Amino acid sequence: MTSVLKVEGTGIRFGGLVALEDVSVSVPEWEIVGLIGPNGAGKTTLFNCITGLYTPNTGTVYHRDRDISPLPTHRRTALGIGRTFQNIGLVRGLTVLENCLVAQHPRIGYGALSGIFGGPRSFVEERKLRAYAMEVLDFFDLTSLADSSLDGLPYGTLKLIEIATVLATDPDLVLLDEPTSGMGPDEAHRLGEQLLELRKTLNLTMLMIEHHVPVVVDVCDYVYCLNFGRVLTEGKPTDVRNHPEVVAAYLGDEAVEGEDLSDEEHIAEHEEAEADVVP
Amino acid sequence: MATATEVLRPVTTREDKWRPSTKGWVARRAVLLLILGGIVFLTASVEGFWADRIARAAIFAVIGLSLNMVLGYIGQVSLGHQAFVGIAAFIAAYYATEKAGCEFEGCSMSTFITSTVFAALSGAIAAGVLGLVALRIRGLYLALITLAYGLVSQNSIFEISFLTRGGAGMPAVRPDGWVGDHAFAFLTLIFLAGVIFVDWSMMRSKVGRAILSVKHSEPVAASYGINVTGYKIIAFVLSGLFAGVAGSLLAFRNQNVVANDFSFVETLTWVLMVVVGGLGNRVGVIIGSAFFAMFGFILEPVLHWLGGLWGPLHFLEEAGAQAYVVIIVGAALAIFTIIEYPGGIGQQVSPITRWLGGQRFSMHPDGHGKHQTQASEASKTGVMGRLGLQRSGSTDEVTEASDETAPTSVMERATVMEQATASPPPPPAPAVHPDDEPVAHASGSADDPPGKPDPVPEVGGTDEGPASRKRGFLGKLGLQKNGAAQQEEKTR
Repeated sequence: MTSVLKVEGTGIRFGGLVALEDVSVSVPEWEIVGLIGPNGAGKTTLFNCITGLYTPNTGTVYHRDRDISPLPTHRRTALGIGRTFQNIGLVRGLTVLENCLVAQHPRIGYGALSGIFGGPRSFVEERKLRAYAMEVLDFFDLTSLADSSLDGLPYGTLKLIEIATVLATDPDLVLLDEPTSGMGPDEAHRLGEQLLELRKTLNLTMLMIEHHVPVVVDVCDYVYCLNFGRVLTEGKPTDVRNHPEVVAAYLGDEAVEGEDLSDEEHIAEHEEAEADVVP
Repeated sequence: MATATEVLRPVTTREDKWRPSTKGWVARRAVLLLILGGIVFLTASVEGFWADRIARAAIFAVIGLSLNMVLGYIGQVSLGHQAFVGIAAFIAAYYATEKAGCEFEGCSMSTFITSTVFAALSGAIAAGVLGLVALRIRGLYLALITLAYGLVSQNSIFEISFLTRGGAGMPAVRPDGWVGDHAFAFLTLIFLAGVIFVDWSMMRSKVGRAILSVKHSEPVAASYGINVTGYKIIAFVLSGLFAGVAGSLLAFRNQNVVANDFSFVETLTWVLMVVVGGLGNRVGVIIGSAFFAMFGFILEPVLHWLGGLWGPLHFLEEAGAQAYVVIIVGAALAIFTIIEYPGGIGQQVSPITRWLGGQRFSMHPDGHGKHQTQASEASKTGVMGRLGLQRSGSTDEVTEASDETAPTSVMERATVMEQATASPPPPPAPAVHPDDEPVAHASGSADDPPGKPDPVPEVGGTDEGPASRKRGFLGKLGLQKNGAAQQEEKTR
């Protein structure tokens, strides 16, 4: 099985601070891979290296066995690497619909000159873009918000809009940076289910940074745990969750080995949900 | 089950999109024509020297739009705009006089156009160089560099004697047929219209959106697939292009280009007029620019009167005092704008411009009223409903929300679905064609009773197959809709 994304031996340092050292991550086709680790472990830095916002000192990034290390960020997006941001990465001055239009940028079928001087092609293409953006918004039931500005929208809705815009870039790999941040356990669980649904319907591969352990356990097929810029451990979510070093990294060395981090309340909820679906 | 999905589609019409009636459009067009006609009538009917001032106002508006491109759209600072305008003015005059020999033989229209093209190109190149600098430096340091750029060109290029004829100034004869002040005012208005069109066209296209997102956040823009470097340069080059056009017009309006016309004071005035007009607001910038162009002339009699009033105020009557008073008043206006009305004139007139653009007349932009809260409520619960993953407890929530909005709840959709299955069997459609649907439903009114299924399934179901699917996501989407419907049915 080929991996959609392969990061090999990535290392980056900022001055004297080693942010990442020899990190290797592989994301196989159609899998949701989790990236966990305490604050400052280098998770978002790794994302920035993958998308090209940072240039790593060592290592290579492969997208479908193609070395994309020399490519700038926008070219990587055009290849199909979509990405969300920890603090919502939407353009504030634009409406929801316009954000979806911006996100389609690399696929737009007219040149910049045609746009600037009002070429007829640009008008035709704009209509198509609009229809497509509405389609994506419709998928998330956000059509009623299409023309409203982002100001004043609830945080959860903004997160959803961000995911919608990332899908508008037509990615085959989505990097999600804490998609459930700022959400309660209920909402987080719901978003996890949505992600699974999206993966199924849109054939997406995902790499997600996530702090909600229950969501990681539910959604991810494989988990990498980073700590101090290194891969602490990797494996199936349940194994990683109970890995003594992971527990130590999160809770400090004093913590009891092998403590189960999942909360019972969440499990109860999950069962309830299942009972609801199956008649 | 595809039919059920199709019936379910009306759930998301753009309900709060309000469009004016035909009458409303007629009224809007009439008011717009009245404004444009008013400008034309004014230009034609006023005395010659006022027509000349209108030409100056139009040129200022072009400069304002040029500066707005840098300050307002891409969010960088330029204090060196007098360099672009000045270089362009000298080049235009130089070409017309020295190369085409207009000084004694008169200037043909084609010469005028050619020299304007040269001027625009030189402005674009000059600004493009600054754009390259702006890639590495921003904020205060960029402001300092542009300032130096302007001052250096003022003291070097504008001192080249074959351009300035040894400081006497390079003459620029107006093109035949457009020599009179009225005619030339119309010529500048035509060019202003062209610049406005390019500005509008750019902002409505992908270029404008890309530039705005680069201003907002470069990492976000890049991760949307936007070439940040490229669009920054494009913004600067376009700004230089407009500045070049303005420079050429200014050269032919003044009929003699001297270096003094392009001093730093001018740039300050231009920056102030863009700020007072409203950064990033086309209409506001044009009004602000025209105001600042006219302000000096309106001020003239006032200053004269003040100067004659009291001995120590005599300096107000001196030549050049006007420009400084404009700067001082402009600065005060700019401070007032920044503190009290950050949107500038553009924000003050926005109810009118929004109305002209086909929205309701209101003091606040659409989407800030009750519509928004309703809509966001729907969106919070909507996705779950769409994906058929309703969990216990949240169903009540949805029903509540849907009392006032479109039929989003599972219950209401179920009614729709039952009615759909009860009605005569529509032809089986394996895939929903996602493209036509929103168009079809956008026209349907928002408060369609949920019991009446849209006629689309009967009509549209037959001629669509998997072959009609579009690129990537859309095709997958078609599948998804069916999947969701099936799942929802299972839930029942």
